[in-house]
Amino acid sequence: MMGMRLPAKIGEWIKRDKKIHFTFEGQEYFGYEGDTITSALLAAGVKVLGRSFKYHRPRGVLSLANHDINALVTDGVDTNIRADVVKLVNGMQLQAVNTDGGVIKDKRKYIDSISPLLPVGFYYKAFHKPASLFPFWEKLIRKAAGLGIVNFNFPRINKRKLNDFCDVLVIGAGPSGLSAALSAASNGLEVILVDENQYIGGTLTYDHAGQDTSQQILKDLVASVLDHSSIKIYSGAYAAGYYQDHMVPVVTDQGITKVRAKAVIVATGAFEQPPVFHNNDLPGVMLGSAAQRMIHRYAVKPFNIGVVVTANDHGYRVALDLVNAGVEVSALVDMRPKPKQDAQVDALVGKGVQVYTGYCIYEALPVKGKLGVSGALVCPYDEETATADIKNAVRIECDGVAMSAGWAPAGALLYQSGMGVAYRNDIQQFVPNRLPKGVFAAGRVNGVFSLDGRMNDGLRAAAEASNFLGKQVNVVSVAEHQGVSPSHPYPFVHHPKGKNFVDFDEDIQIKDFINAAKEGFDNIELMKRFTTVGMGPSQGKHSNMNAIRILAKIRNLPVEKIGSTTARPFFHPTPMGHLGGRSFHSHRLTSLHAWHQAAGACFVDVGAWSRPAYYQKAGLSRLENIQQESLAVRQSVGIIDSSTLGKVEVCGPDAAEFLERFYTGVYADQKIGRSRYVLLLDELGVMVDDGIATRLADEQFFVTMSTANAPAVYREMQRWLQIWKLNVTLVNVTGAYGVINVAGPKAAKVLSKLVSLDLSEAALPMGRSAKTEMNGVSLRIVRAAFVAKQAYEIYMPSPYALSIWKALLEAGKEEGICPFGTDTQRLLRLELGHPLPGIDTDGLTNPFEMRADHALNMDKPFFIGKRSLEIIAKKPLTKVLVPFVLAENYKGEIPQDCNLIIENGAIKGRVTSISYSPSAKRIIGLAYVAPHQSQLGSVFDIRTDNGSLAKATVVTAPFFNAD
Amino acid sequence: MTIFIKTTPVAYTHYAVQPRIGMHHGMEIALSFEGDSTEKAHKQVLAVTDVSCFARFGIKGPKAADWLNQQGIKTPEVMNAWVEGAPNTLVLRLGGSEFLVEDQAQGKACEALTSFDQASTTGAYQVARSDAAFILGGREVLNLLSELCMLDLRDSAWPSHGVVMTQVAGISATLIRESLAGEQVYRIWCDGTYGSYLWEVLTEIAQELGGGAVGLICRFQ
Repeated sequence: MMGMRLPAKIGEWIKRDKKIHFTFEGQEYFGYEGDTITSALLAAGVKVLGRSFKYHRPRGVLSLANHDINALVTDGVDTNIRADVVKLVNGMQLQAVNTDGGVIKDKRKYIDSISPLLPVGFYYKAFHKPASLFPFWEKLIRKAAGLGIVNFNFPRINKRKLNDFCDVLVIGAGPSGLSAALSAASNGLEVILVDENQYIGGTLTYDHAGQDTSQQILKDLVASVLDHSSIKIYSGAYAAGYYQDHMVPVVTDQGITKVRAKAVIVATGAFEQPPVFHNNDLPGVMLGSAAQRMIHRYAVKPFNIGVVVTANDHGYRVALDLVNAGVEVSALVDMRPKPKQDAQVDALVGKGVQVYTGYCIYEALPVKGKLGVSGALVCPYDEETATADIKNAVRIECDGVAMSAGWAPAGALLYQSGMGVAYRNDIQQFVPNRLPKGVFAAGRVNGVFSLDGRMNDGLRAAAEASNFLGKQVNVVSVAEHQGVSPSHPYPFVHHPKGKNFVDFDEDIQIKDFINAAKEGFDNIELMKRFTTVGMGPSQGKHSNMNAIRILAKIRNLPVEKIGSTTARPFFHPTPMGHLGGRSFHSHRLTSLHAWHQAAGACFVDVGAWSRPAYYQKAGLSRLENIQQESLAVRQSVGIIDSSTLGKVEVCGPDAAEFLERFYTGVYADQKIGRSRYVLLLDELGVMVDDGIATRLADEQFFVTMSTANAPAVYREMQRWLQIWKLNVTLVNVTGAYGVINVAGPKAAKVLSKLVSLDLSEAALPMGRSAKTEMNGVSLRIVRAAFVAKQAYEIYMPSPYALSIWKALLEAGKEEGICPFGTDTQRLLRLELGHPLPGIDTDGLTNPFEMRADHALNMDKPFFIGKRSLEIIAKKPLTKVLVPFVLAENYKGEIPQDCNLIIENGAIKGRVTSISYSPSAKRIIGLAYVAPHQSQLGSVFDIRTDNGSLAKATVVTAPFFNAD
Repeated sequence: MTIFIKTTPVAYTHYAVQPRIGMHHGMEIALSFEGDSTEKAHKQVLAVTDVSCFARFGIKGPKAADWLNQQGIKTPEVMNAWVEGAPNTLVLRLGGSEFLVEDQAQGKACEALTSFDQASTTGAYQVARSDAAFILGGREVLNLLSELCMLDLRDSAWPSHGVVMTQVAGISATLIRESLAGEQVYRIWCDGTYGSYLWEVLTEIAQELGGGAVGLICRFQ
C-alpha cells in the first residue's frame, strides 16, 4: 500500500514530530497529531473507509468535512464515529460500521447486485401482506441496512451544557465570518466566533488554486482575530440550531454551550454539491473541496492520476491545487458548453492538463470489487437533456476523480430563524431575501462568492449588526455578482444502469426521484419522505439541492417554484449524551431525611419529595410492616413526618374573601384559632385538592394542601390573585416549616410531656389550633383527625424538626411510639373513611360523586367551579363513592386498586382504595359504584385480577369503632 | 432542659463526607471538610460554603419597607437590589415588596427583628425562612454558574448590587454578588428543602473543576 503523505507544507494541520499509532480493520497504521482518522488512513493509502447504508457499496472520502457519512467507524465502545473529523488518538482500534466480515470482504455486498429489486420503499410494497409477517421482514431489513450498532452499555460520560453570552455571534470563521467578527469587535461589541473546523480560516485554509496569495490574507485575518480581546473563539464547534431570541446551541466534543446573542451573523458558507453520474460514489471519487482539504490541511495526496470533472469555475482551482500537489491530472472535464478562457486555463494547459469542454463523466470505471477507480469514461454532454454522447466516449485512466458542480448554501440556521428566500438565477442559488431582526447573513450563504466580495460582505453584515445594536457605523456596500454562475443548474448525467447517486447516505439514485414523482410524490416535502432524501445523518447537505433540481426538471418548473425543506434543529446529528447533559433531577428532602434513612425507611417519591412509605423491620414484608405501624397508631401512638404538606399563608385585608372565592367553604366568619376543611375545584367543578385552613389572625390564614398538588395549587392561588386583584399577600412557607403528626390514643399523653399547652379535649377539641413552645421553640399545634381520632399536627421551623422529632420519640418510648410512613398513613385514613383527592378521585370527579356536599356552600355568590356544580347538580349522578367491606372470612383473590365494579357484565365503577385493616380485621375499601348500588348494605361485585368476582357490601365509615 | 439544635438544610449530605461540625447561630454547620491547605487551594479555584446558619428574617407586604426602616434597617430603593442595611447585615429586596434580611458572620440585626408582632402590624407580614444559603467563590465560579443558570451573570451584565431571582439547576434561587474580605463571591439562597440537592450539584461540579466544599473556618479566615 503506497503512502500518500506529501512533504511538509506551510499551513498543514498535522504535527509530524508526534506519531500516533492505531488500527483500522485489524491493520496497524500511524498518523500524526492533528490528523483525523480519515486523513491518517488516506495518508496510508487506504481508500475504502466504509460501506453504504443500503446497498453495502464500498465508500471512500466524499467531503472530508463532516458533510457526509461515508466514513463512519466504531472503536468497540462508541459507534458512528465520524472519521473525517474525529482526531486520531493513540491506540485507537477502529472498524467500519455496517459491515459483515469487514469493510473489504463485507458479506452483504451482494445486496448491490440485487439493488434493482430494492427500490425506494420496496419493503412497504413487498411486505405489507400478510401484516403478521411484516415484523419479521422489518427485523431482517433493519439488520441488513443501517449504521453502527448502538452500545447500550455505553459509559455515561458527563457532557456539560453551558450558557454563554455575547453581543454578536458570528457563525463560520471563513473570510466573511473573520471579517465580520473583526469589524463587529472593532465597533466595541463582544463577539463569539464559532467554526466547525479545528482551526479558523474556512476556505482560506484549503482553496489555494495552486497559489499562496490567499495565505497572507489568512495569516493577517487570523492573527487579528486571535489578538482581539473582544472575540471569543469556539473552534471544532458547530452551531446546531437557531432558537428564539438568538439562542444558538454550539456543540463541541465536550458538550453544548447555549449562546445567547443580541445579534447573529450567519457566515456558514456553502456545501459543495457533487455532479451525478454512474458510479460517482466509488472510493477515489470525491468532491473537489475534499481533495483540497486533503492536500492543504493534512498534506495528503488524494490520488496519483486524476480527472477533475467540473460544472463551474471552482473545478479549475481544484485542478491547479492537485497539479501543485504532484497529482498527474489527466483531464479536466467541464460540463459547460462554453469554454473558459483565462489564466487558470492557460496554467493548466501549460502543465499538460487536457481540458474537455462540454463533456461529462458518463461513468467512473471501478477496479475489481468496486474498491476504487480505474478510469473515467468521458463523453460529450448535452446540457439540455442531461445525456452523454456515448458514441464519442473517451476512456481516461486514473485512480481518482475530483468533482465540482456547485454549492448549496449552508442555510439551515437561517431557515430556522424564519428567513425568506429567493432563487437567484445568476448564481443558481437560494439566497435570503428577508431576515428576522438581528439576524444577518454574509458570504457564500448570502450568494457572495469572490474572496474580496465575501470579506466585504462580512464587513457589511458587521456594520448592519452594529447599527442594529445601537452603534453608528457606516453602511458597507457589496458589489453584485459578476461572471458565470458558481453552481450548475442541472449537473446530472442519466445512465441506464443508474447507480448515479444523489444522496450518498441512503443510496438514492436519480431514478428513485423519477419513480417517486410517477407515484404522485411530486411535492418536495412528499418526495423527501418517500425517497428519504436528506433524512440520513448528513441531513441533505450534499443532496437536498440536487433533489430540488431533479424535481424541478421532472415537473418542468423553475427551481424557486419547488421550494426547499427546512432542516430542523439540531440540523447536525448530536449525541444523546450531549443533549442530556448532567441530567439535573431536582428533589426535596425534609429535615428528617437522614433520620428516616438510618431508621430503615423505604422511600417513595411524592411530587418532588422523597418520603418514607414505611420503615422496614427485619423479617417483615411490606404489608406486615404497614399493618404493624398502623396497629401502633390505633393502640398507642405513632409519629409521621408530614413536612412535605403544602403550606401557604394568606395575608391581608382580603384574605378571607380570597379563600371564599378560591375554596368551596365559608371562611369569612371563621374564628381565630379555628381550622376548617378546604376543598378546591377547577372551573369545571372537578375536585383538585383539599386541606385545612387555620385562621391565625383577622387578616391571616394558614392553609395546607396535599404534598403532590401543592405547587399547582400555589400557582393557581397566584394566578387567581392576579385576576381578582384582591389586597392579599401570599407567602409560601412549605419549606420553611416542618410538620410532625403525632397520632393515636396516647398522642396527647406523649405530647403533654413536652409542651405546657392544655391538650385536653375541652381545651383543644377537633378543629382547633394553638401556639405553644417546646424548649423555647415556637410551635403551632393543630388538632386534626386525618389518621386517628386523637392526632396533633405540630408545625415548627424546619431546622428544629429533627430535634423535636427525637424529643417526641424519647417522650413516647414508654408508650411504644412508632414512626410510620405514607403507605401506613393511607391505610389509617382509609380506616377512618377519608377519601383522598388524587387517590379516590380522577380527572373528572365532582364533589357530589364523592359525597363531599358538606364542604360546599352553594349560597356563596362565587367560588371556583360553582357555576359548573350548579349545572351538574341538575343532572342525575352516575357514580357514587362508597365505603365497602368484603366478607370477614373472605378467602378469594384479593381485589386491587382500580379493579372494576361489574353488574350484569357491565362496568359500573372501580375500586379506588382497598386494603386489609388489622383494626377492622377484614378487607376494607372505597369504590365508585352506580347510585342504585350505594345504599347501605347493598352488595356489588368486584372483578379481581384473575377474573373472579368478589362480593363487597356497602357499609358506613369509619370501618371500626375509633373510640 | 435539652437545648434543641438546628440542623442545616444540607445535613443529609454530611453523612457521606463527615465534615468537622461546629455550632453557629444555634445550628450545626460544617466548619471544615478537608485539611486547611486543601480548602485554601479549593478557595482559589472554586469553593462552596454552607452558610445556612446565618440568622435570617423575611418580611413581605406593602408596608414591609416602612416597617424595616422604622427598625433602623436601610432598604434598597429599587427592586431586585441589595444593600448593607445595618452593619454586617444584608437586606435584599425581592421584587417590589418583599425583603430578606440576613446577618453575616458578625451581624446582629435579625435578632431584634424577631420582635415583629403581626397583631400590631398592618400591611407587612413576616415570611418564615429556612433557606439553604451558600457562598461561592474562586476563579471558576462563573464557569460553574454557566452550567446551572441561563442568565448572564458576568459583571458587565449584572449591576454590582443587583439581586437575581432565577432558576439554578432547575430550582428557584436568589443570587447576589458581593465582596467578602476583598474577594468577589456569589451568594445563593434557595428553599431549604432543595438544599441537599443544590449542595450536591454545586460540590459535584466544583470538584470536577478542581475545587470543592469549604467549611466556615476557611471561608472566613
